[in-house]
Amino acid sequence: MTESQLFSQFLSGVSRGMILFFISSGLTLIFGVMNILNFAHASFWLVGAYFTWTFWKIFYSPTFGLWLSIPLAALTMAGIGWIIEVLLIRRVYNRTLSEQLLLTYALVLIIGDVIKLTWGVEDRIVARPPMVDGFVNLFGAPFPTYYIFVITLGGFVAWGLWWLLHKTKFGRTVRASVFSREMVGALGIPVHRIYTGVFALSLFTAGLAGGVQAPISSITLGMDMSIIVECFAVVVIGGFGSLTGALVGSLIVGLVYAFAILVIPKMALVLIFVVTAIVLIVRPWGLFGTPMRA
Amino acid sequence: MKRIKGSKMGGIEMIILLAIVFLFPFPVQAAEPYHLGVALGFTGTGALYSRDGKNAIEMAVEEINKEGGFLGKHPIKLFMRDDQTKPDIGVREAKDLILREKVKCVLSAYSSAVGLAVEDVCYEYKVLHIPAISNTEAMTVDNYSPYTYQVVPNTYMQAMGQVIGISKYAKQKGWKTFVSIGSDYEWGHSTVNYFVDNMKKTYPEFKLTKQYWPRLGETEFSSYITAIMGDKPDFVYAALASKDNVAWMKQAKPYGFFEKFPYACLISVTEMLEMMDELPRGVIGETRAPFFAHMDIPMMANFVKNYRAKYNQYPSDWAVMEYDAVYVLKQGIEKAKSIDVEKVKNALKGMTVNTTRGKLYFRKIDNMLNCQSYIGIIADDPKYPFPIYKDLLIVTGEESWRPESEIPAVREKSGLAKKRKPEELKF
Amino acid sequence: MINLGILRSSVGWLVLALAISIVLPLVVGVFWVHVLTEILIMGLFATSFNLLFGYMGQLSFGQAAYYGVGAYTTALMITKASIPLPLCMVASVLMAGLWALIFGYFCVRLTGIYFAILTMAFGQLVFYIIFQWYSFTGGDNGIQGIPAPLLLQDAYAYYYFTLALVIAALIVMRFITNSPFGYTMRAIRDNSDRTRFIGINIRRYMLINFVIAGMFAGLAGSLWAPFNRSIAPDLANWAHSGIPVFMAVIGGPLGFFGPLVGSVVYTFLSAFVTGFTEYWPIVIGIIIIFIVLFLPGGILGTFQQKTMPVGTNYPEKKETS
Repeated sequence: MTESQLFSQFLSGVSRGMILFFISSGLTLIFGVMNILNFAHASFWLVGAYFTWTFWKIFYSPTFGLWLSIPLAALTMAGIGWIIEVLLIRRVYNRTLSEQLLLTYALVLIIGDVIKLTWGVEDRIVARPPMVDGFVNLFGAPFPTYYIFVITLGGFVAWGLWWLLHKTKFGRTVRASVFSREMVGALGIPVHRIYTGVFALSLFTAGLAGGVQAPISSITLGMDMSIIVECFAVVVIGGFGSLTGALVGSLIVGLVYAFAILVIPKMALVLIFVVTAIVLIVRPWGLFGTPMRA
Repeated sequence: MKRIKGSKMGGIEMIILLAIVFLFPFPVQAAEPYHLGVALGFTGTGALYSRDGKNAIEMAVEEINKEGGFLGKHPIKLFMRDDQTKPDIGVREAKDLILREKVKCVLSAYSSAVGLAVEDVCYEYKVLHIPAISNTEAMTVDNYSPYTYQVVPNTYMQAMGQVIGISKYAKQKGWKTFVSIGSDYEWGHSTVNYFVDNMKKTYPEFKLTKQYWPRLGETEFSSYITAIMGDKPDFVYAALASKDNVAWMKQAKPYGFFEKFPYACLISVTEMLEMMDELPRGVIGETRAPFFAHMDIPMMANFVKNYRAKYNQYPSDWAVMEYDAVYVLKQGIEKAKSIDVEKVKNALKGMTVNTTRGKLYFRKIDNMLNCQSYIGIIADDPKYPFPIYKDLLIVTGEESWRPESEIPAVREKSGLAKKRKPEELKF
Repeated sequence: MINLGILRSSVGWLVLALAISIVLPLVVGVFWVHVLTEILIMGLFATSFNLLFGYMGQLSFGQAAYYGVGAYTTALMITKASIPLPLCMVASVLMAGLWALIFGYFCVRLTGIYFAILTMAFGQLVFYIIFQWYSFTGGDNGIQGIPAPLLLQDAYAYYYFTLALVIAALIVMRFITNSPFGYTMRAIRDNSDRTRFIGINIRRYMLINFVIAGMFAGLAGSLWAPFNRSIAPDLANWAHSGIPVFMAVIGGPLGFFGPLVGSVVYTFLSAFVTGFTEYWPIVIGIIIIFIVLFLPGGILGTFQQKTMPVGTNYPEKKETS
């Protein structure tokens, strides 16, 4: 393997990791703040992708359509997130873990059929705008321009979330309520509105992730089921509730996968599971999680 | 007593009435309807193909019922079930169709795993079975059942078809090395293995240098794309599941992959219709039943016309084959002059049938139709709003199926003798 | 006032259920006999899951791994070596128990969400191994043509055979849950710290329970293989692990027979609903949400609450961690 081939492989691992980060960031946020593992997160991601396709079809502009559709889809998902939190998620905050898991798993099933009813069974294709179609040569290795967009956007999202949580009043209240819900409530801040906001925010990122995904592969039924397992691996490795962990975990999973297929092609996914299991056994709270979150 | 006119039948009126009853065959009681079962994967990855199959079956049944049904007197009653692309659900739904709805024939399935499971259920309950979408060779060779008749070119035939088509190009252009990429499941493995083994026999100078096995359902192929581009092969052979193939082609295109490397894979009419402009021109595709290859055959031309009128789209391979399945059943029933399962099963043995793809026959040793495989180069065509094959090469069933001499050894290995009666395995 | 006493008589219900299960196959069509057999097998699977969930308070999302191991062990032994079914079943139970021991050793070191995810990861591991090992397991095509023993090829015969075996297994599990061991499990569920303080080795007990649950799951799997005549790898994946969870929750995890009731409802519904719509997931999804939000004790739990006289100490659902 030449250097540029290795670098190429490295880049593909990074882009794969970035896509996982887009989805996992919302997942870990919900868990960190509300202590709920949202099985349905990848399903919301998929809905976001389908919405992106719908908007893209409506705008009918190959050059600009995508740039308008992605934020629109993300906002739509945020709205849907708001509604779902108020109607459903709110009711299980005080319930047992299993009830919360079952509720979100039931959502997976329902969303799957809702997608089928709304968008049918055909695969949906979104074309990349000419601006980011094609590739550039980095150190002799070809790299699709679209992935540069993905990585850059991922960086922005990561930075944006960090800024939101550390530099705004909303963010500080969120972090305080993670630490002590009662105290925040006692200070007169409506905690339930915080939770609704967090849920809507994480669904915004899921919608954004879906929009970004749309031009990468075709949008098909069942994509959510296969990627949710990888997202769990990311959140386990990175640490539940930690955004840094989600970023690092995603990159680890992406890179491990990219290089594993060169060396042990059939065992790449099994390797990810083995790593997940090892992390859970040795250090259950992951690289960046906190032990008390057990 | 005074006889009131018309109130009592005289002898002559009696004779006339009897004559009418016997000479004019009124349906004095309704003839038995023919229960036809359909078990397809309406939920799951094959939902799209299953839906196409359903459309074609319903259309065929409508056409046949306009003439009164099978043999003009057994209207077809359709029973549809969703096997959810899961073998145990498929088994349960097949049992439901057979035991509750009393179907005489089951048309299945998108997934080979489900098809094989349903094959065994149909064998146990002695009901006909025509799998018209899934095409694992195991259905007719390893797991042969006398009740199963296959109308799709199986995995061996498809791979062999590609060997014939591609070795032609390979020799022409002097290709020396190739790389394979196959979805990591049984279909992917057996397809690649059949291709590699048979290519070795046909063109031994053509060397396989590397193999890649992305998992089934992979959506992120960049690592594979860069790896293969690093290998710099003369040719890339792909056996990726259809959805994965769509994602793969979409992602490889911006790398300029298809300009640099000749590439061959399965591209069915569904992908042509779906991908349109995104489909890279110049790749070598293969498919199972493209309608455009047989527009000169009246049965196909009529089918395409009616299908487009009813469903507002062109029929995919899956629609063509399920349509053929219903008409094959019809011809079997007509030859047997009965809807009895055993009689139809015996009638179909070795029978020559008229299909949209031509006049074809079932080989006796495996009930495999000698249907063709279609290889060509993806290119635009003025007749259609989507790309089709140019330089179409049609490989016949006889050229591509496994030679009869090899079949007993394969069946020995799969232990078929334990599962079937000895007289069923004599040909 | 209606005397609810008779409704509380568990013996009465048991006798009724037994009578129905013996007589029902004789009056319904043969297709429903197949469904009843499925209800029994899945009910056994769900009850084994509930040993971990209702009684020990931990949610395992990977029990299908042991079910799958049981099914594949029996299928492979019958198709490759024609070994008689009773021996296959013993082997299945032991194999499933072995893997439960290996995986469980790691799982019981965790609780709550970590336990759930680790069981899920191990379950997926088993699924992928079965999926990829084509030469041995047939890969994603699965194994076809698994014959039932000659005496049991008839649907009715297999049903009564399954009924007898499942009743025996339920008796054994009931014995376990009502033994001191079973009460230790409940203590671990309700307050593991206190239980540790009185000197119980939590991990060892949890591991033993995990192995027992795995063994009964393996038994269910080994009953399934010759019944269905064919098996495929997705018997072992996490979506299939969700089915006993649904059943336990629908029926009520705090009662011994909850999962069995859940199996009746779930299996019957899925056989019935798929007869006229392909949108089964949305149906079961709505049912689960309804039960989680409004009937937290499941059917049996809600029923028991309604028929208990005032003041009865009904066990409270505890927060699991």
